[in-house]
Amino acid sequence: MTYFSFFKSESLLLWRHKQDTLNALLFFVIVVTLFPLGIDATPDFLTVSAGGIIWCATSLAVLMSISRMYREDYEDGSLEQWLVSGLYLPFLILLKVTVQWLFMIAPLLLILPIVGGMLYLSEESFWVLVATLLLGSPSLFLIGSIGAALTVSLQQGAMLLMLLILPMYIPILIFATSAIKASEIGLPYLGSLAMLLAISLLSLVFAPFMAAASIKASVNE
Amino acid sequence: MQSADFLTITDLWIERGERVLCKELSFSVQSGEVIRILGENGAGKSSLLKALLGTVLIDEGSILYLGEDITADRSNLHKDTLYIGHSVGLKKALTVRENLALYCPDVSIEGYQPILEELGLAPFLDMPVNKLSQGQARRTALSRLWLTQKSLWILDEPFSALDDQACLLLEKKIEQHSLAGGVVLLTTHIPLSSIQPRELEFAV
Amino acid sequence: MSWAWFHKLGSTKWFFLWFKNWPLPLFLVGVLVFLMGIIWGLAFAPEDYQQGNSFRIIYIHVPAAILAQSCYLAMGIASFVFLVWRMKLSPIFISAVAPIGALMALIALITGSIWGKPTWGTWWVWDARLTSVLVLFLLYMGIIGLHNAFEDKRVADKAVSVLGLVGLVNLPIIKYSVEWWNTLHQGATFSLTKSPEMPMEMWLPLLIALLGLSCLLASLVLWRMQTTIMKREMKSNWLKQEVLKNGL
Repeated sequence: MTYFSFFKSESLLLWRHKQDTLNALLFFVIVVTLFPLGIDATPDFLTVSAGGIIWCATSLAVLMSISRMYREDYEDGSLEQWLVSGLYLPFLILLKVTVQWLFMIAPLLLILPIVGGMLYLSEESFWVLVATLLLGSPSLFLIGSIGAALTVSLQQGAMLLMLLILPMYIPILIFATSAIKASEIGLPYLGSLAMLLAISLLSLVFAPFMAAASIKASVNE
Repeated sequence: MQSADFLTITDLWIERGERVLCKELSFSVQSGEVIRILGENGAGKSSLLKALLGTVLIDEGSILYLGEDITADRSNLHKDTLYIGHSVGLKKALTVRENLALYCPDVSIEGYQPILEELGLAPFLDMPVNKLSQGQARRTALSRLWLTQKSLWILDEPFSALDDQACLLLEKKIEQHSLAGGVVLLTTHIPLSSIQPRELEFAV
Repeated sequence: MSWAWFHKLGSTKWFFLWFKNWPLPLFLVGVLVFLMGIIWGLAFAPEDYQQGNSFRIIYIHVPAAILAQSCYLAMGIASFVFLVWRMKLSPIFISAVAPIGALMALIALITGSIWGKPTWGTWWVWDARLTSVLVLFLLYMGIIGLHNAFEDKRVADKAVSVLGLVGLVNLPIIKYSVEWWNTLHQGATFSLTKSPEMPMEMWLPLLIALLGLSCLLASLVLWRMQTTIMKREMKSNWLKQEVLKNGL
């Protein structure tokens, strides 16, 4: 196994399981749809809340889709093979998270104009939304992968994972939505974007090691 | 100076939960040896293999690899090790060819056509692994023995789900490997016909 | 420099024998001091000129909130120690302290919302500090849930340590972001850098209540740790001898 062959096969696997990605996107759309139906469908409400709605839906969809990202690897013995491959485990995890991120975020960005239009998001704010997603979503995946690694050996891990990881998403959610809100009312938003970038960089340095430690513990069981 | 053993295991102590799997187990492995680990079901044979690999934690003891202490960091050992466990690590959604490309990226599958024929895998190269039978999947995993060059093979029940012909083929390969100076550690329940491994009794 | 003391601290046997007789006196002192602080605060401290008597709930609210955070900090540090040095005592400490920290966070939440009723007119306000205590409570529950989810305690120890460490890094970020998101509440009651704005007759009983509650919690944590050590070292000789010789 090499880093490149690992990257290639992970991409190929996600491509074979493209239905899962599609389901996650549909889940995202459904959650977004619930807000106008459940709260208020007037543009007054939706324009202000669009950022928050989209970010809540994104966090949930991301967490749902990566909650089982190591599950198959755990069951078919791949995790053991990673550990004895002589390759550096945190880097393998980083590669896997990168592939997951690319496969989820690219189609999400594609449908975003439609969803943004449905929520009456202004054009200026739309681009801020795209920026928050690009800067903030890596940390969603990186932090989520720690949770996925922690719960990989548990049968009923998904709910626990939500409980473990969603609190950690709060800062990301706050900075992302406040950037969008600020741009909506014409205030500066670069500070919030910088915070998102900082959180992503911090998780980039930290998360692969934490996930690796959890995977080692889970395989040991 | 005497050259170092391939592996030296000293006073190994493994506990799993409440259970002590082994106490003060010591043995050494020379190049060219085939070692079969004996023990009852659930005695912890697989755990011992995993402990050598570092995926099961050891509580005490030390492991030397070519004279170098690798108890804390097995990465040097891993570079020269091929491990095939109970779950073989094949990706179900990928084909045989793609799985081999994942694990043996440096070789071209075409160069190994004869051995893949002999293992009965040649017709299934482009079939996803979840469509294969158990024996075929295991043979796919075992074909890595032919496709890679590693000195240490750690094989956990490699003969399970194999037919007689494949068993013979595998035994022959193990023999060749040991003649070439390689080391094999394995567990198995079936009697071996052509090779006489050194046996290591494993009980507390 | 000798590290012997550090490794000694990691030995469950040493810890058990050394602290065996501490919990009960610590508990009694804690109860006494805490009651002293509470009674002083409730009965003798002057009334607040704005909030009247309702402010007196801080004599429970503030110690509980401070201790909920300190417990998490201690837990995070223990996680780090375990992941780096594999100190056996750390996970025992973590599992002992987590429910107590969660209880403190819960008390802080309940007293906070009781305090909120006369002050803000509602039971709950999305104010920065209440919200971050809520998040803290959820983080505690996550740790407890994860710990209970594993059969094998060794895996549980490792997983909980990872989560504790991740939480430790995240907690200041969460706190900062929530504060930045909304600040309605009055500023921190205690500050290490500037002199307290409360009159001394008000904050001295608060300090005493905090000290008392800390001792109380420390004794509970020690008790819980001793129970866990006894459970884990059930088969070891030193424990048998100790129990046979000196009783429990």
